[in-house]
Amino acid sequence: MDTKQLITEAKARFNHNAAKAYLKDKYESKLSVASQGGLWKADSLTITLLAALTSPAVVVIDTFGNPVMVYREKLLNTLTETYETVMADWHMEWTSLEKKR
Amino acid sequence: MDIIREETMSKGVLLFAFNNDKVDYYAMAIATAKRANKFLNLPVTVVTDETTDLSKYDYEFDNVVIVEADRTNFNAQNEVWINKGRYQAYNLSPYDETLLLDTDYLINSDTLLKPFELYDDFMCHNRTSFLMIPNHYQEMLSDQSYNTVWATVIYFRKTSKTKQIFECMEMIQKNYSHYTTLYNMTVGNFRNDFALTIALRIVCGQTEDTSHYIPWNLVHVGKNTHVYRDSDTMYTVIYDNWQRGKIRKEYSIVTDTDFHLLNKENFMELV
Repeated sequence: MDTKQLITEAKARFNHNAAKAYLKDKYESKLSVASQGGLWKADSLTITLLAALTSPAVVVIDTFGNPVMVYREKLLNTLTETYETVMADWHMEWTSLEKKR
Repeated sequence: MDIIREETMSKGVLLFAFNNDKVDYYAMAIATAKRANKFLNLPVTVVTDETTDLSKYDYEFDNVVIVEADRTNFNAQNEVWINKGRYQAYNLSPYDETLLLDTDYLINSDTLLKPFELYDDFMCHNRTSFLMIPNHYQEMLSDQSYNTVWATVIYFRKTSKTKQIFECMEMIQKNYSHYTTLYNMTVGNFRNDFALTIALRIVCGQTEDTSHYIPWNLVHVGKNTHVYRDSDTMYTVIYDNWQRGKIRKEYSIVTDTDFHLLNKENFMELV
């Protein structure tokens, strides 16, 4: 018996909350980036901070709470690229799961 | 500002697999090793004991290490549960950088390569989530104690600090009844998760060093949940949600996600 038939016969309902939580776990792990001696999360806060600062070298607190001096533009580019790729994948998988009933 | 890692450092996966009357852990280790080869492109060493009939299996590990199994621990079903001796990982690993995994950890992606890019010498999970059960509570050693950290996935490099952590796990294993009393632990049987939680605290001077934590959740598949394989990395997860004495079946679909499957029979159905 394939899983589609199993779901139909068991009258199982798709759990959207569980799917949402699973997607968050999956894609947050992909947002972590090790670069320039620190560990970073490619999230909106870090990207906005790096974009707002102007000096070529700045000190930023990394995921572990350590102050790390980084080349701002290089890190900004790395995090922006990661953010765009991961979020596009997250959105695509969410869109396909959202339709399930 | 860039830190250059030594490219000459050897990397690999280490598994502990001791069969008992019910579960063929060595077969599970082979399944996990094949997936580690495929998704992580890493060699795998297995630690087992002399009761394992190696001629039964047709997989060649990078290394097979034979040790004496400690058969003094029992699980909740009162079956022999050979989980002691994990502290030997530091000495038994032939690699400079090691991923120490439980055999029931199903690898479906290259996510576990990330700890090799990070800069710490020891990392494990301190937070978990359960597929199908959002907002599941985080386990603690006891009501008034620490959050449990998990020995399911451990990344370590051979450094003096890492050596201390494993030596401390050995000390805790050998004096476990003392530590269960000291930390007011409710579970009596030995668990590597608990030994690691206490060892990490001791080595870090009773403080919490967050740099030892893998910065994403360990995903478990827990009770009343069954996983069905759709393709090599795609699974349908069905959960029996008990409500007012009735079961309501719920499902979700997961892809390219590593998870820890507590149900050993279910694990073997998938590999």
